[in-house]
Amino acid sequence: MNIDKNVEDDGVIFMSIKDEEQNKDSAKEGAGDAKSCGKSDEDLLILAIESSCDESAAAVVKNGREVLSNIISSQIALHTVYGGVVPEIASRKHVEKMNGCIRAALSEAKVTLDDIDAVAVTYGPGLVGALLVGVSEAKAIAFATGKPLIGVHHIEGHISANFIENKDLEPPFVCLVVSGGHSHLVVVKDYGVYEIIGQTRDDAAGEAFDKVARAIGLGYPGGPKIDKAAKEGNPDAFSFPQAKIGDAEYDFSFSGLKSSVLNIINQAKMQGQELSQVDVAASFQKAVVEVLVGHAIKACKEYGYDKLAIASGVASNSGLRELMEKECAANNIKFYRPSPVLCTDNAAMIGAAAYYEYKKGVRFGLDMNAVPNLPLGDRERRFHAGK
Amino acid sequence: MKILGIDTSGLVGAVAIADGDLLLSQFSIQYKTTHSEILMPMLDDVCKKIHLDLKSIDAIAVAKGPGSFTGLRIGSATAKGLALALDKPIIPVPTVDGIAYNLYGVEKIICPMMDARRNQVYTGLYTFVAGTPEGKSLEREFEMQIIHEQFATSVEDIAARINEIGKPVVLLGDGVPVYRDQLDKLLKVPYSIAPMHQNRQNAAALVSLAMQYAAEGRMVSADEFAPDYLRLSQAEREAKEKDSAGKAANTGEDVKSGARAGDSSREEPLSEAEREKKRREARKTPGIVRVREMTAEDIEDAALLEKTNLGKEAWTQKQLIDALTRDDTIYLVAVKAGRIVGLCGVQNISGEGEVTNVSVARDCRGEGIGYKMVKQLLERGAGLGIKDYTLEVRAANEPAIHLYERLGFKSEGVRPGFYDEPKDDAVIYWKRNNL
Repeated sequence: MNIDKNVEDDGVIFMSIKDEEQNKDSAKEGAGDAKSCGKSDEDLLILAIESSCDESAAAVVKNGREVLSNIISSQIALHTVYGGVVPEIASRKHVEKMNGCIRAALSEAKVTLDDIDAVAVTYGPGLVGALLVGVSEAKAIAFATGKPLIGVHHIEGHISANFIENKDLEPPFVCLVVSGGHSHLVVVKDYGVYEIIGQTRDDAAGEAFDKVARAIGLGYPGGPKIDKAAKEGNPDAFSFPQAKIGDAEYDFSFSGLKSSVLNIINQAKMQGQELSQVDVAASFQKAVVEVLVGHAIKACKEYGYDKLAIASGVASNSGLRELMEKECAANNIKFYRPSPVLCTDNAAMIGAAAYYEYKKGVRFGLDMNAVPNLPLGDRERRFHAGK
Repeated sequence: MKILGIDTSGLVGAVAIADGDLLLSQFSIQYKTTHSEILMPMLDDVCKKIHLDLKSIDAIAVAKGPGSFTGLRIGSATAKGLALALDKPIIPVPTVDGIAYNLYGVEKIICPMMDARRNQVYTGLYTFVAGTPEGKSLEREFEMQIIHEQFATSVEDIAARINEIGKPVVLLGDGVPVYRDQLDKLLKVPYSIAPMHQNRQNAAALVSLAMQYAAEGRMVSADEFAPDYLRLSQAEREAKEKDSAGKAANTGEDVKSGARAGDSSREEPLSEAEREKKRREARKTPGIVRVREMTAEDIEDAALLEKTNLGKEAWTQKQLIDALTRDDTIYLVAVKAGRIVGLCGVQNISGEGEVTNVSVARDCRGEGIGYKMVKQLLERGAGLGIKDYTLEVRAANEPAIHLYERLGFKSEGVRPGFYDEPKDDAVIYWKRNNL
């Protein structure tokens, strides 16, 4: 995956993510044709929209696995001064940026709305004000063009990001989904069929990363900053607790770990000691990663799956990737992961998930609403058309 | 010229379609604010009933703001999506102008008021001026004149501006019932209130005004259009307040009272029913309860209150003094007839506010003291940089759980067997303001 970046006047970063292989293919088929995207009658094109947090994104995806365009307008720089995403600012920016993203996605895919077979959008979970922008746009476009509308669960999108670069990956497999807002261990039984076998009891893993990063003065966003600092630190400098939940062996708990890091920092402060930022980062990261990898490998072995995928924000953490690769190799498990850029919020993954929903005949009505706490697996069916 | 109009800026959700000077259809609902769920089905219905080919529309008019932030975005994003798909321009209509246009031909002062909360209204001042079309003697044509363009201000300020003009005024908009008593005291000119069919956002009036704008070429492209909120987001406002707090500190001004919890949902106006409920609740509360910061003189009484309520788990005087002297805490007491009847406190732990105490005297429970007190605590917490709040409560303590849920806390977990005497689970509650 290649990224074209452009910083706009208001500090928003406009990115176009290109699949090199895809570009090669379309070059072969002859760019400039009327059907330069290489769409045949059986092909299915989905325009996908995502706005659940601080990235406005649009993409055109062919047959669920080929990304014709993937546009992300990232506001991260705007929120850095506030130490986290400010929902109202994020929602306002989505209104300003979404049309531009959609237009860019269509033009880069060399298609028009007429070529599109369905419009897909993230309708939860996420920030309600932010979600509503994408949902309102998608509904308006689907209505004005008469195309079917498909609502997608944000986390199912993240899991489906694995389908884009791993053409051989098919369910069933185990997927570890870890981000700022989620920590789930999921068995993907079939396309769109999920069983959650483990989740966090308190903080999400990414949330713990953000809090610890703030406490040791690394700032926002915590995940990438801790990952970077950890590379220079000693992971065994501190021994942090790894919580075990007695009655649910695949569940996670990160709040105790977070508190114990904060305690060490406070103690050092009170005693006037200087703490090594990189050592704290490395030891904290090690504690998180060991729990995540341990649970995931154990689930594969006990449930009898030989494929393991990771998804969402924390999946781009290099410490997690390294240990996961090592442990998978040692246990004869095939390890799948999306490129780091597909681990961030993007619309291509929404298009991938929507494709399999479309194939199953799922269609949403125009009364679709944003559902900020939409549960994974047990999905909201009340907006389905013809319910 | 065929124009589709959308207004979801307030409690009314409405669409209208006009062709030239013919209003083909309008659909308006003022019932709960679920614009996201009703707007598109409403539009779909309207289009079907008049066999409208969407492609025949020339422009999309939308209430551009001010209004409920979320409502504005639903209308705007919908208009932008339609305009993008149909390749048509957008006609942005200032919300307050649209409301004023309800009263075509009225030569009094017209003052729409939308409840903007924080004791403010979105308002403006308008009137209609008559002219005679060429070659006619008796026909009149009215033009809406803007005396003061739409802005956000206090009720006192807009009343003073009306008094200054000194002419009779017609009031309309959802802010009028909210501030009616206040307005009655403030206004020194005869006033009337528009009847229900003319006193709210009206998509037909919006489209009618949009026809004029279109003739004047006041249109923008779908991508360019963004709503005009007339207000910064809360976080930006707070950053500004903090900025001026640094300056004000030198002059000794109290700026802390301006700080509020960072909850975007508080921007949403309450529905009429919710307001009425609040008024009823307020009437029920006997005696006047004041909430203020705890001081050293309160410690003895506060400790006694803790002890009476919580027994062994109560905080001691020493713990309370310690809490009072830290700079990462806020402690509030509720005072009724000179007696301390409530206590609550929060500690800031790297951006997360841990609510450490909430106590209300037994004989004063059920009067809304806990709600009043904790609500203030949450509002003041932003001044410490708190974004999210957490607390633990006994699973069996239903009144407390009910209180926290009313304040927007959500249960996120349980610590089994956390409390002793009697043994009970602790329920972990969170109020996350970025969700």
